[in-house]
Amino acid sequence: MIAILAVAAVTLGTVGLGAMGTRLARTTSDLLVASRAMTAWWNAAAISGEYLSAASFLGIAGLEMQNGTTALWQSLGFTAGYLCLLLFVAAPLRRFGSYTISDFAEARLRSPRLRGLASGTVLLIGGFYLVPQLKGAGLTLNVVTGAPYFVGVLVVGLVVAVNVGLGGMRGITYVQAFQFWLKVFAIAVPACLLLIHLGGLPARAALFGDQYPSVGANGAVVALHAPQQVTFPTATRYTIVTSSHGRSTARGLESFAGEQTTLPAGKLLLAPHAAVPVASGTTPLRGSKWARPVGGGGERSPVFVYSLLIATFLGTMGLPHILVRFYTNPDGPAARHTTVRVLGLLGLFYIFPGIYGALGRVLVPQLYVTGATDTVVLRLPQAAWPGTVGNVLGAITAAGAFAAFLSTSSGLLVSIAGTISHDVWPRVSRERTTTVAIRRLRFRLAAGLGMLAPIAVAFFAQGIDIAVLVGWAFALAASTFCPLFLLGIWWTRLTAAGAACGMVGGAIVATSGILAGLALGEPSGIAGALLAQPAIVSVPVAFLSMIVVSLRSAERPTPDAEMLALHAPEGLDLPEMGVRDPFVLGPRA
Amino acid sequence: MQPGESPGGRTPRDELAEATAHGALYLRRLRQRQLALSLLALVAFGALVGVLPLAIDIVPQLTRVELLGIPLAIWLLVVPLPPIFLILGALYARRADALDESFRELVRRS
Repeated sequence: MIAILAVAAVTLGTVGLGAMGTRLARTTSDLLVASRAMTAWWNAAAISGEYLSAASFLGIAGLEMQNGTTALWQSLGFTAGYLCLLLFVAAPLRRFGSYTISDFAEARLRSPRLRGLASGTVLLIGGFYLVPQLKGAGLTLNVVTGAPYFVGVLVVGLVVAVNVGLGGMRGITYVQAFQFWLKVFAIAVPACLLLIHLGGLPARAALFGDQYPSVGANGAVVALHAPQQVTFPTATRYTIVTSSHGRSTARGLESFAGEQTTLPAGKLLLAPHAAVPVASGTTPLRGSKWARPVGGGGERSPVFVYSLLIATFLGTMGLPHILVRFYTNPDGPAARHTTVRVLGLLGLFYIFPGIYGALGRVLVPQLYVTGATDTVVLRLPQAAWPGTVGNVLGAITAAGAFAAFLSTSSGLLVSIAGTISHDVWPRVSRERTTTVAIRRLRFRLAAGLGMLAPIAVAFFAQGIDIAVLVGWAFALAASTFCPLFLLGIWWTRLTAAGAACGMVGGAIVATSGILAGLALGEPSGIAGALLAQPAIVSVPVAFLSMIVVSLRSAERPTPDAEMLALHAPEGLDLPEMGVRDPFVLGPRA
Repeated sequence: MQPGESPGGRTPRDELAEATAHGALYLRRLRQRQLALSLLALVAFGALVGVLPLAIDIVPQLTRVELLGIPLAIWLLVVPLPPIFLILGALYARRADALDESFRELVRRS
């Protein structure tokens, strides 16, 4: 009940702040990028708030519980992505003055066709990154209220579409900053209180020793709503209670170590201290193995860890909702200093998710049975501290999770709607002149349209891990937009043809890797690691093809004006380079 | 030719604004310095983060030795790097601003 109230409060607060922004948003330019006069701390909090998504709030803890402390590399990479952005992209891109990735592609390489390719890629990455957010919302609302999965997906989808359509980004800058601090509070306070309450990390044998996760001294009852394939790590006595036609029957069974079996729908009763069976697809891990950040095959191998670090380090800059936010900085140096603050703020947040994964392994091991480890952040407080305090803390984490879905989805939808209304729509309808009112209406319709496909995919993607979807989005961004930015900003000889080849090549390698991994059921060994996270292959492919095709083309580009706009410091009173700003009011060229 | 001196009374500012050969040269120098600075920071980052997975994989002591009941490898992964990113970022931003400023000086002096 408290949790429902907390989730409702966060949602209403977001909508309310968004509505306040609506009254301030006057022009299309305002609607998209807000005024460029936010302070560095506001901007940094807004950037971080938009960035911390379902993957950060729920996914890391869930993956850590399931797969071990290897998951912590993800939070490291998520932070380091902003270091890469700071070193190579933040200041030049802000000076260049284009608002979106598509604008940059077109203006830097003087190619409207490259713009089309970039817009398509923005829609692809943005759409697929929206899916795990909606999935998280469905899971959360299910845990909090018991509502079916699709209700949460629809609620968050609708709220975000309406909020973005009405408020645009002006409202959202304040909303995002507010939501950042809400998320830090919601993940930090329960984690600290639980650690104090438990007196440190309990049951170290299951965490760092040679034990499998096992139920407590009172045993456990696990409700199974559907038949569940599981692996028993040890010989275990268990009871299955099934009911048919109003009569329930109990059967006592005993498993042998390593037995794989299918449990029927019903109730699973585990004896005190029994090791829990683990849903198929997950390998049961002893504490000592679980605690090793690297070591082993598949997603625990060094190859996978390096590939993941590359994907997150280079992919962050290519997520569609990240760069738009940088244009709210007044100039290049401000963009740098904002990014430094972002590094600090993200470092603060990522201290905490790991605590939930570790405590969850000890205190809610029954999540292993159904494989619902993505919900550990939501379920842990009640399990660790039964009673009112646990309920309140659970409500706080649920509210924080909702803030995460709302903020990231909003940022993504702003980029998607902007791309649809400014790139796709004019191309399809071939209209020449529009009024402000029509363009605003178009943006609002695009916000609705842009949410439809991700909602549809989220219904079908219920079984795919949040981490898989997120890893794919990062790999794709790292192998398309990252080389476009790095070479476009720092290398004069990049040609439009080279950029296009590199983006297409990188996207194909990254996508086919992930699809093959899903189709083959994640094979083990190095091949499995590469298919699960192909960035370590696809990123070099993209860079090399961009460089080779550019060098081989007959064209010798002379981007002097573009380089001036990218790299000349402020305060020189140079004449404007005249990068076309497609959002400035007035007839489009 | 010394930076800041320009033939025929033309200043670097004029050169830049009109994007002549000299202007492009000034700007290329700035761009190369900025890139060198960024790459230096990248190497520092790569050395710190790049070594860690391999070190944890190869050196078994890192997972066996415990500090306050938690294996050293986990401490290494969680504690030192985020503050180092912050420091590295802050140092980089200061140097990059200084490079911009010296370029501005060069252009203004004339």
